[in-house]
Amino acid sequence: MERMAGSDDDTETVAQARAGDADAFRRLVERHSRNVFRLAYRMTRNEHDAEDVVQEAFLRAYRNLDRFEERAHFGSWVYRIAANCAYDSLRARERRQESAAPVTIDETGDGPVAEPPSDEPAPDRLVFGGEVRRRVALAMRRMSALEKSAFTLRHFEGMSIEEIGRALDLDASAAKQSVFRAVRKLRNALGRDAGLRPTT
Amino acid sequence: MSHPSEEDLVLHHYGEAGAPDGVESHLASCPSCAAAFAALRADLSAVTEDEVPARGEDYGRGVWRGLQPRLVSRPAERRAPAFRWWAPAALAASLVAAFLIGRHFPAGPSPAPISPQGRDRIFVVMVGDHLERSEMVLLEVVNAGGKGPVDVRAAQESAENLVAANRLFRLSARRSGEPGVASVLDELERVLLEVAHGPSQLGPEQRAQLRRRLESGDILFKVRVLESTMRSREKQMAVSGTAS
Repeated sequence: MERMAGSDDDTETVAQARAGDADAFRRLVERHSRNVFRLAYRMTRNEHDAEDVVQEAFLRAYRNLDRFEERAHFGSWVYRIAANCAYDSLRARERRQESAAPVTIDETGDGPVAEPPSDEPAPDRLVFGGEVRRRVALAMRRMSALEKSAFTLRHFEGMSIEEIGRALDLDASAAKQSVFRAVRKLRNALGRDAGLRPTT
Repeated sequence: MSHPSEEDLVLHHYGEAGAPDGVESHLASCPSCAAAFAALRADLSAVTEDEVPARGEDYGRGVWRGLQPRLVSRPAERRAPAFRWWAPAALAASLVAAFLIGRHFPAGPSPAPISPQGRDRIFVVMVGDHLERSEMVLLEVVNAGGKGPVDVRAAQESAENLVAANRLFRLSARRSGEPGVASVLDELERVLLEVAHGPSQLGPEQRAQLRRRLESGDILFKVRVLESTMRSREKQMAVSGTAS
């Protein structure tokens, strides 16, 4: 995880940018672009889409500089904006795919996977031959844009449920349920039965 | 505590504040839950990160080069409301659009004639700017913060001017054989009309409705794609113009 650290240097630069200094905003863009790209790529898993997200995130940041709270860190702020942009990008992709080739999406992830699991799906056995990786990729493809976004932010970026909610404009409960559904889909794809609770 | 649910174990695994108390001690005393937790951890540890394509030290400069043409001068803080600055620009756009389709050109001796290439270039530049302004007006309306109603009269004024310009650009696109451009402008015009003629105070639910309307037709996405296309054409025209 490479969360964006706040930088003391940013405070003055942000103030200059807010006052209309384009060169100050350029410095912020140059300072934070790589981190924003990493986040965008992790969420979209597509280089072209990630580049679009980077542009869109800084554009939104620029237009909303007045709303930036001075005590906050610019890096964290633009990071949240980028997460939101990446989520928008995933939703747009989802809509395009739905209109291009309608498929039945199993919301719970408990239904049959697109490819039938092998006879011996135990995760420790699947490690070999990249099978786990393939199944994880399959599960990620089956997630909705929201599930994928929430899971990526929780699992790879280390954001708390509360932070995810703020970044994606959701309440904490919706963010939490999205993470749960994503985990369930992953475990289902790995051949793990979701009903893990022992009976009391 | 009773046996934690899978959700509880997920929260516990990620160290979330919302995880119920006592999970740790329960796991220490309950072999079946400990096994379930170990299985969950094993599954989640299998989800490893894809390699992120490398970006060099100068990546930020490239991002800035792409971004800069899309930025407009920020008004200094404490100036007029954010919407205001593009109202005259939208009005100017409608005048140029009118000129482009030759409808409102003043009678009398013509000024120096403009070549078809020059006219095309003006069209491409103006439509690109028009799309950017339209996007900004729509985004400002749907993203207006606060839980209460927001006064959108300034945005409505801009939208009104943008509708006038849009109509002329759409006609011009249709006449010059660009049905794709005309189609996107047609969709955009309907949304701009909604904003221009809608209520001047928009509550959160009305803003959410507008957002859903924009999302359902992918309107903003189409506007961005077309804007990007126009910018590319503008650059190509500039290159070929320099070369010739």
